[in-house]
Amino acid sequence: MEKILEITNVSKSFGKVKAVDNISFNVTKGEMLAYLGVNGAGKSTTISMICGTLKGDSGSIKVCGEDIKKNSNYTKNKIGVVFQNSVLDQTLTVYDNLKYRASLYGITGNKFRERFVTLEKMFDLKEIKNQKVKTLSGGQRRRVDIARAIIHNPEFLILDEPTTGLDPNTRKNIWNIIRYLRKNNGMTVFLTTHYMEETTDADFIIIIDKGKIIAKGSPLDLKNKYAKDIIRIYHINEEDVKKLKLPYRKINDGYKIEIENTTLATDLIVENKEIFKDYEITKGKMDDVFLNATGNRIEDVYEENN
Amino acid sequence: MKKIINLTIRNIKVYFSDKGMFLTSLITPAILLILYATFLSNVFQSTFVNAMPKGIELSKKLLNGLVKGQLVASLLSVSCITVAFCSNMLMVQDKVNENIKDLMITPTDKKTLVISYFLASFISTLIVNLFALILCLIYIASSGWFMNLMDVLLIVLNVVILTLFGCVLSSIINSFLSTQGQISVVGTIVSSMYGFIAGAYMPMSQFGAGLRKVLLYLPTTYGTALMKNSVMRGPFRELEKIVPGNIVNSLKKSLDIGLLFNGNVVEASTMYLIVLMTIVVLFAVYVLKSIYYKEV
Repeated sequence: MEKILEITNVSKSFGKVKAVDNISFNVTKGEMLAYLGVNGAGKSTTISMICGTLKGDSGSIKVCGEDIKKNSNYTKNKIGVVFQNSVLDQTLTVYDNLKYRASLYGITGNKFRERFVTLEKMFDLKEIKNQKVKTLSGGQRRRVDIARAIIHNPEFLILDEPTTGLDPNTRKNIWNIIRYLRKNNGMTVFLTTHYMEETTDADFIIIIDKGKIIAKGSPLDLKNKYAKDIIRIYHINEEDVKKLKLPYRKINDGYKIEIENTTLATDLIVENKEIFKDYEITKGKMDDVFLNATGNRIEDVYEENN
Repeated sequence: MKKIINLTIRNIKVYFSDKGMFLTSLITPAILLILYATFLSNVFQSTFVNAMPKGIELSKKLLNGLVKGQLVASLLSVSCITVAFCSNMLMVQDKVNENIKDLMITPTDKKTLVISYFLASFISTLIVNLFALILCLIYIASSGWFMNLMDVLLIVLNVVILTLFGCVLSSIINSFLSTQGQISVVGTIVSSMYGFIAGAYMPMSQFGAGLRKVLLYLPTTYGTALMKNSVMRGPFRELEKIVPGNIVNSLKKSLDIGLLFNGNVVEASTMYLIVLMTIVVLFAVYVLKSIYYKEV
């Protein structure tokens, strides 16, 4: 598979603080990578280095096969970025914003007008194209942000917390656009978010903390490793649940049990068929993965120090 | 080249679309004109009256021409610089609003970005200063007009040169700023200090010998002197008709129109050379800084 992003042993320090500490990973074409971490974990520093606006101290970053230091014009043409906060000119119209940003990629005149027509349809910009950006609603502004990010038809889209602060309906619409771009344009996506449920579409997840990669894998791998399975048993009495000799919690119409993994859950069910008559079993959530992954690391450090 | 043009247009549009920023720039020269006329007019008037030998009385029109000329020259000298600082704040605003991040991720080099900021600032500042010049010419024309077409063209040329100077100076200083607080501080310092340093509010002859010597090493002094030269050419031509040459010369000297450096008269051509060379050097420093310094 073609590698769109190759990060090899990249580090970046600000004074004594190691913002990014020897990270390596790849993103292949069409894939969506969720890059997670708490605030200050090093996500934005990584993005800035990928975009070429911040120089790393060591290591190499390649975008579409080209080193960002050696051929930055090429790699910048391949990357589109939706920043956490809208960075468009608030006092200019949507059309002017897109026009002047497009010109920085060499898209002017008829070429721009043709591109604008495409984006106008894709993002429903007709009604708002002559409106100043500062007068747009949060959702409209985000649509324009994404339109701006793909104005030059990049292969690789970086989404830096694209839905932070948006209402659920707008978030849903934004995700529909992102899914459309992935499906129809084969766009490779690099996502950072604090909403863990948004990572379920990701092909691969990386969790960083204090600049280091502390967990990586597919959502399923990470759930298996860092989150427990949850069994909900309905319409039984507490005496029966106690027989399982596992910690449990009362829920509506039944009880909830957390169990290490699916194999153990299956064994438990097979061994206690009389109890498991009405039940459901689910994987843990990405929230659990994130918290446990970070927590495990903290425990490791604690153990090492003691 | 297309990128520079488009970015320059973007910068100008952003500047003029910010009504607050634009109106402040536009109103500032008008307010300055009113303040100058109100507070400095009498001071300047008595300077001219006291400088006249006994028996020579200046006509009301000539006195007005001289006083207004001095006021207008001071105003334009200051305005060219302060407005440049104001319009050039866009480069700082882009950092404050993080718009610069969006520009830097494009395949556009820093050199293109900084040149476009400079060009936009120059065009915006020139528009505001030409507006200020029109106001000033109307003010002079109301009573005290002694200028010919050549004089007016010379003033326009000096406005262009001083605007260039103001833009290049503000470009370098503003390129080090990155917060709203810094914008306010620099704006306040420049608008309150520049007029004194450049000898616009008060002629250098009013300062101590040490300070006078230091000011003669600053290109700002020659910029103001050039402006005074062009604005007061007309009234002084008229004055030379009724007052002996030595008195006119000493008056010119006291108003910094005729500058002496180490006892030698600095010709207008030398003043132009000093100011233009300074513009070229500062512009080179500004562009080179963008290439070798990590910030824009």
